Amino acid sequence: MSQGDTVPLHPSSQSDIDEIENLINESIQSGPGTVLAARPPSPTRPSIPVSSSPFMQSNLPPLPPSSSAQKVTPVPVPPPLPVVSNSSNSQGGSQGIGASGFGSPPNTLTEPVWDTVKRDLSRIVSNLKLVVFPNPYREDPGKALRDWDLWGPFFFIVFLGLTLSWSASVKKSEVFAVAFALLAAGAVILTLNVLLLGGHIIFFQSLSLLGYCLFPLDVGAVVCMLKDNVILKMVVVSVTLAWSSWAAYPFMSSAVNPRRKALALYPVFLMYVSVGFLIIAIN
Amino acid sequence: MDPNQIQAPVENYANPKTCLFHVLFKGAALAFYILSALFFNSFVIIFVVTVLLAALDFWVVKNVSGRILVGLRWWNEINDLGESVWKFESLDQESLSRMNKKDSWLFWWTLYLAAAAWFILGVFSLIRFQADYLLVVGVCLSLNVANIIGFTKCKKDAKKQFQQFASQTIASRFQSTVQSAFTLV
Repeated sequence: MSQGDTVPLHPSSQSDIDEIENLINESIQSGPGTVLAARPPSPTRPSIPVSSSPFMQSNLPPLPPSSSAQKVTPVPVPPPLPVVSNSSNSQGGSQGIGASGFGSPPNTLTEPVWDTVKRDLSRIVSNLKLVVFPNPYREDPGKALRDWDLWGPFFFIVFLGLTLSWSASVKKSEVFAVAFALLAAGAVILTLNVLLLGGHIIFFQSLSLLGYCLFPLDVGAVVCMLKDNVILKMVVVSVTLAWSSWAAYPFMSSAVNPRRKALALYPVFLMYVSVGFLIIAIN
Repeated sequence: MDPNQIQAPVENYANPKTCLFHVLFKGAALAFYILSALFFNSFVIIFVVTVLLAALDFWVVKNVSGRILVGLRWWNEINDLGESVWKFESLDQESLSRMNKKDSWLFWWTLYLAAAAWFILGVFSLIRFQADYLLVVGVCLSLNVANIIGFTKCKKDAKKQFQQFASQTIASRFQSTVQSAFTLV
């Protein structure tokens, strides 16, 4: 819209100025009510929860892994970024920054707290559905579980530990500690195993996956806690064990060299079997 | 009018509720861990409650108080090539300079103090050879350290971005001014 009335400029500076101008015009026109990605949108992924800013996420991840952390090389992206926050914040800024934090500016820096909570919760649910239930994207680990988070695994591990501890009639604390340590350390070791086999998997993504795959075992543990029949327990545990292994299989196997698939999968299966035994043996 | 009354009032916390929550969960986790030995015999309860409070604190700092008190945010993404990318987001320069000084002072100092406190508690449990309590302390410490590292990196990245942006706009405006001056002649 503004190209017609500007004097012809050098092409490179023209494109820069156009970019900045377009972004400013866009944000002025769109106003505070619409969504502006504060970074260029990536292709839509199937699992993004519908929310105000689909590409901004908050995760639970701890330290940045020194080997796999890579920053996006600064191409035209950095200049538009501050411009967008600039222009959007100058309109909604006075109400967004400051005491209330409420308002509807387009980036996640000034969204209401409730939005963040909802976004995280819906991400846990969508990740769970992706990993544990059949869906068309299972075979491509790059796509599925793209938006990993560690909250889901945390809840599942603690829940499993608590369930086992509740079912135990003696030594409750030890049972909980053993279950938690086994699952947490087991997930870390399994991930290291895949990495050492030369597999391509991201550390936190794999931790997240192994945690989500515990969901069937959680269900099994609850059922076993409620009914104390040994035969029923064995049936339930074997069913949920098979389900957990089926859930973990595509991600683990596609991350490594095909000849080493068994080496990567066997320890996962072993860990779930040992958790299954723990569930059966508790009384 | 009394000239003293025209002076600006002493700056107070701009977001008292957020500051409160920022400190609340950290303090609750530490207090519960330290005092629980007096009341509870069960390790399970101590573990679960402390780790839960620490996780809640992590979430609050990362998503709420980081945004509101210092205008910074960090997260991790997996891009299309399957690589993990750390992303940082910050408010623009003008809003950042308008941030309440007391707020950001509280933010950073409580982060550092909490991490130091957990470290000291970890040393105690190591000396007493209590492996299970060391586990609790380890989890809480790693959550705190993660936030510290994330926000520090975010602050550095924000500074770098502003410098880049400033130099880029100055260069392009200068170029366009020169060009337009020449073409108008």
